[in-house]
Amino acid sequence: MSVDPRVLKEEILQIYPKKLRQKRSDSIVINEHREDGTVPEIKANVRSNPGIITQRGCTYAGCKGVVIGPSRDILSLVHGPIGCSFYAWLTRRNQTRPESPEAQNFINYCLSTDMQEENIVFGGEKKLKEAVREAFHLFHPKAIAIFSTCPVGLIGDDVHAVAREMKAELGINIFGFSCEGYRGVSQSAGHHIANNGLFKHIIGNDETPHPEKFKVNLLGEYNIGGDGFVLEDILSRCGIKQISTFSGNSTYDTMANSHTADLNLVMCHRSINYVAEMMEKRFGIPWMKVNFIGATATAKSLRRIGEYFEDDGLKARIEEVIAEEMAKVEAVQAVVKSRCQGKTAMLFVGGSRAHHYQQLFTEIGMKTVVAGYEFGHRDDYEGRKVLPGLKVDADSKNIEEIDVVPDPERYRPRRTPEQIAKLEAKTEMEFRDYVGMMPEMDSDAMVIDDISHYETERILEAYRPDIFCAGIKEKFGVQKMGIPCKQLHSYDYGGPYAGFAGAINFFNDIDRLVNMKIWRYATPPWQPPTQQPEQVAAD
Amino acid sequence: MARRSIAIYGKGGIGKSTTTQNTVAALAEAGKKIMVVGCDPKADSTRLLLGGLAQKTVLDTLRDEGGDEVDLNEILRPGYGNVQCTESGGPEPGVGCAGRGIITSINLLEQLGAYDQELDYVFYDVLGDVVCGGFAMPIREGKAKEIYIVCSGEMMAMYAANNISKGVVKFAQAGGVRLGGIICNSRKVDNEQEMIEEFAKRLGTQMIHFVPRNNDVQRAEINRKTVIEWNPACEQADEYRALARAIDNNQKFVVPTPLPMDDLEKLLIDFGLVDGVAPGTEVVA
Amino acid sequence: MLLRHTTDEVLERTSLTINPAKTCQPVGAMYAALGLHNCLPHSHGSQGCCSYHRSALTKHYKEPVMAATSSFTEGASVFGGQANLLQAITTIFTLYNPDVIAVHTTCLSETIGDDLVQIIAKAVAEGKVPEGKHVIHASTPSYQGSHVTGFSNMAKALVTYFADPEAAKSKQITLMPGWVEPSDMRELKNLAARLGVEVTLYPDTSDVLDTPHTGKHEFYPKGGATVEQIKASGGSLAAIGMGPSASQAALEALQSKCGVPGTLLELPIGLQATDRFIDTLRTLAGVEVPQSITDERGRLLDVISDMHQYLHGKRVAIFGDPDQLVSLVEFLNLLDMKPVYIVTGTPTPQFETRIQTALGGNVPEAKIKAGLQADMYLLHQWIKQESVDLLIGNTYGKYIARDEDIPFIRHGFPILDRVGHSYFPSVGYAGAMRLLEKILGAFMDRQDRDAPEERFELTM
Repeated sequence: MSVDPRVLKEEILQIYPKKLRQKRSDSIVINEHREDGTVPEIKANVRSNPGIITQRGCTYAGCKGVVIGPSRDILSLVHGPIGCSFYAWLTRRNQTRPESPEAQNFINYCLSTDMQEENIVFGGEKKLKEAVREAFHLFHPKAIAIFSTCPVGLIGDDVHAVAREMKAELGINIFGFSCEGYRGVSQSAGHHIANNGLFKHIIGNDETPHPEKFKVNLLGEYNIGGDGFVLEDILSRCGIKQISTFSGNSTYDTMANSHTADLNLVMCHRSINYVAEMMEKRFGIPWMKVNFIGATATAKSLRRIGEYFEDDGLKARIEEVIAEEMAKVEAVQAVVKSRCQGKTAMLFVGGSRAHHYQQLFTEIGMKTVVAGYEFGHRDDYEGRKVLPGLKVDADSKNIEEIDVVPDPERYRPRRTPEQIAKLEAKTEMEFRDYVGMMPEMDSDAMVIDDISHYETERILEAYRPDIFCAGIKEKFGVQKMGIPCKQLHSYDYGGPYAGFAGAINFFNDIDRLVNMKIWRYATPPWQPPTQQPEQVAAD
Repeated sequence: MARRSIAIYGKGGIGKSTTTQNTVAALAEAGKKIMVVGCDPKADSTRLLLGGLAQKTVLDTLRDEGGDEVDLNEILRPGYGNVQCTESGGPEPGVGCAGRGIITSINLLEQLGAYDQELDYVFYDVLGDVVCGGFAMPIREGKAKEIYIVCSGEMMAMYAANNISKGVVKFAQAGGVRLGGIICNSRKVDNEQEMIEEFAKRLGTQMIHFVPRNNDVQRAEINRKTVIEWNPACEQADEYRALARAIDNNQKFVVPTPLPMDDLEKLLIDFGLVDGVAPGTEVVA
Repeated sequence: MLLRHTTDEVLERTSLTINPAKTCQPVGAMYAALGLHNCLPHSHGSQGCCSYHRSALTKHYKEPVMAATSSFTEGASVFGGQANLLQAITTIFTLYNPDVIAVHTTCLSETIGDDLVQIIAKAVAEGKVPEGKHVIHASTPSYQGSHVTGFSNMAKALVTYFADPEAAKSKQITLMPGWVEPSDMRELKNLAARLGVEVTLYPDTSDVLDTPHTGKHEFYPKGGATVEQIKASGGSLAAIGMGPSASQAALEALQSKCGVPGTLLELPIGLQATDRFIDTLRTLAGVEVPQSITDERGRLLDVISDMHQYLHGKRVAIFGDPDQLVSLVEFLNLLDMKPVYIVTGTPTPQFETRIQTALGGNVPEAKIKAGLQADMYLLHQWIKQESVDLLIGNTYGKYIARDEDIPFIRHGFPILDRVGHSYFPSVGYAGAMRLLEKILGAFMDRQDRDAPEERFELTM
């Protein structure tokens, strides 16, 4: 490797004014595996510098767009000017499949109070109440979620009071979210606010029992591009009952009933770990981190579920499914690997995906040289073991921390501490833990939190990776440079990429992208060949 | 004569509206064409000129009609001396955003052409302190060029005046707004005139007039009139005429130099307000 | 059914908007600012605004859209965004070195009451704006108007900040194109060039949002009107503003600031509107219309007359931006089609009058609605009451089109699921020809799909 990441880091930082230089220096880290088992500390979940051109969005986007939006029969009503609701309208590709042609499905609708100047000056509560009534009469939903946008917080409209009043008046579940865009430093604050709302207003509302033996919830799976469908299929073939998903392809009732499951599986740690923690405290359901991105990772996660339930029949079915699926994956993997081996990737996305997707690249022989999260926290990088030492800063103090105690009637520890300890000792599985991205990356890999456009350009010039993974805002600028860019928020409108079938899709897509002919035709025949900016020898 | 745009600021309850309206009445009496824009949600900045509260505020029309097809005549009404009076209005206390209301209403007045008429003076009477962006609206984008601060010898009034001066400094850079002077509306505090003169000097400005306390002001107010209208011959009417003349002839417009807190306190002590200091506080004179 | 809860029974709504036919001001301001060369748009508000607007524009154009944000957090919301903007200005000039930072506000900074004039002056006074560089702003509160209003406000800001009343008088004509595609802006410049008229067009997003692949990412692409060009437009012989909603404010500003006589036209979409545009330009500049343009017009007429049987009497539902709708409706009326449902979420004075004029009294049954609650939900309800033969609008229309099995043509913003709008114009005679081809194609594909085997036509 001809790029020295330490030198590159210093070069990148040079341009910044002093204060900003220090701040960015703490968020650009060269990975190393220390003898004591730790990785370097990274500064994450801190404010983006104004003007720097960040990838990040806002609190509302995390709450409405990411966590609550995918649920199809909770009617989402956005209280604010029109834009916020408009931009979150179907833009995240959360697929959903109603039970029947008559079943409720509001996912294609965009509702807003469309606040006008007079609602700002005189307050918007009256309009909000009327909008809730109108929404109720037109859609007859089980539940309405009200989302606050920036000006709502400033003018002091009390969406929670409106929700309570309307709940009493209309007799359905109505709840509000104080998820004004400015509440946090990124979408992440919105995830937390949404988690709190799910826990306070939905989870535990339905006691319908299920006779199945192996009951799980899948947390942090939003069914983008149909990932959730693939996982539903795998789990059901293994004989595992999925009570609910948070929140891809979900309904209000499944989430209300989710506390009857016996294990919580956490996919996207960042966006949903709060729910997992709170459910364990109140209902006694253990949670464990899984990763269904990548065939090997999927197999490993399934086996862990088998271990947890300690059932030989289940374990056998899991092995059958793995064997059947792995054969299909390996056939494609072998072909693709022969064309992708040794190529390099960069991932800048999400609060988990930049970690999960490294697995898929590894399976086709590609190495991730630089990675980072858009809205991750230190625990997503370094592992949850850093949590006790994390300082709560001013921006996080805005967000309510719910004090959860065991439910007097419904707390039922599914496993004793001894059983958990035994499970942890027997296998490499851990409960309530997430190892984080950095321990699973190479030493000398660069890790950059909340990367700016400027930094993106610099690392692309230096490394010339074979593929860059980010979002829509980054995609086309990167591709202009002749470097393929894969969107890992929306999957470039393809997918699914989860599970075994998803891995096959991903391998084929990456193969196609890195080997596309068109990259070679940038220079017309009547012009001298352009100097490719110092191509880094990847081997 | 070029139009002069003046904003009157000062601590709540200091008598801004009364002073403004009496001064405006004196200017009108002298033949000036004037518009008064009340920027207080209570909408009582033109009561004395109109002989009662304005019937409909600018924001009332927004509330009732959504701002479309508003008739300027509904919200701009002539009062004493043909002074054009309008009130911004605002939300009820505790809801919405009064500051945004002021921004909204001044924009709406501009759209409706309220400023297109021939005017010698536009006066903005602004609520209390500059508490948020909305209350700075009258001094933004060159809307008001001159600021007068109504003040008295009471500590909180001077503290507020000093704070308002800080706001003026901020806006002076962009909009070219300048401080025209301090109007002392007497509360019969000891050494009041001297102290405010000194205070004004320290701020880099002048005490433009000392308005003595006089119960005729109250008497006129009960009759919903300015003293100029209620009893043109009374002494207090002459005080306001003097103030009006001083403003009309004013040439001294400055970017103020707000005082550090310590200096302001020292000023109060120097002028004999030591008695006002809370017991147990050590005073170093 | 995708929109399974939409029924034909219209209940009066006063407060709820469902499936809007508009979005908010700032995205329009961002789009307009991209039409200025070497300019970085800047969103003064929370991060989400900038992220959403960049995403929306990027999805529509499949091009990089660069813009920065003031990244408001709770503190900025209480204390005002001055510190954030000053910091942003320094950071932007250090990292990205634009000629101009074009700041637009958001509902958040507007409600706080941030005074952009004052903050920018402070930045200048503190030396944060390098010599020869500019920071400009437009006030774009999201709770007024729509994305079109935002475009209009930023277009006007270009005039108020840059147009020079002292500029040397020239024969050049200033064109203000309104919110149209880069392809349209390119076509307008082409038409002027073919007429032999020297023009400056702004905002101009051609060569900004339709850039070639070269192996290099140009952070500031070569397109966009330059500050010098806009300055010089103060000395223009005349100006033409296209579309009152998007261009009138800028046109009037240029007239009042620099005395440039302005002519306001509807967008030159369709035959008649293009005729008026060409004729106005011809008259103002005192030039002859070249035969090639007259021929182009003739070819358009020829196709219309040849294919009229597929067009006549067809009922159309159309939604989008007011200026676009007025010209499109006029064109559809010329084709003897029947635009029966016309909806824009943008509050537009005189909208119904303009549409009625465009309809020329030919479609008395037309339902027209603009502004609050004029949304796609209502449009869909009207369609459910009595269906149409064609739906025209942005990509969100495809949900209605599929549910109701109606041919659908994409036009407007945003188009998220097709390419072409950035490259092929809909203005001018060539644009009208393209629209016509799309309309005919939609009808003929439908006929081919639905015809019984015995009536399946070889020649159409």
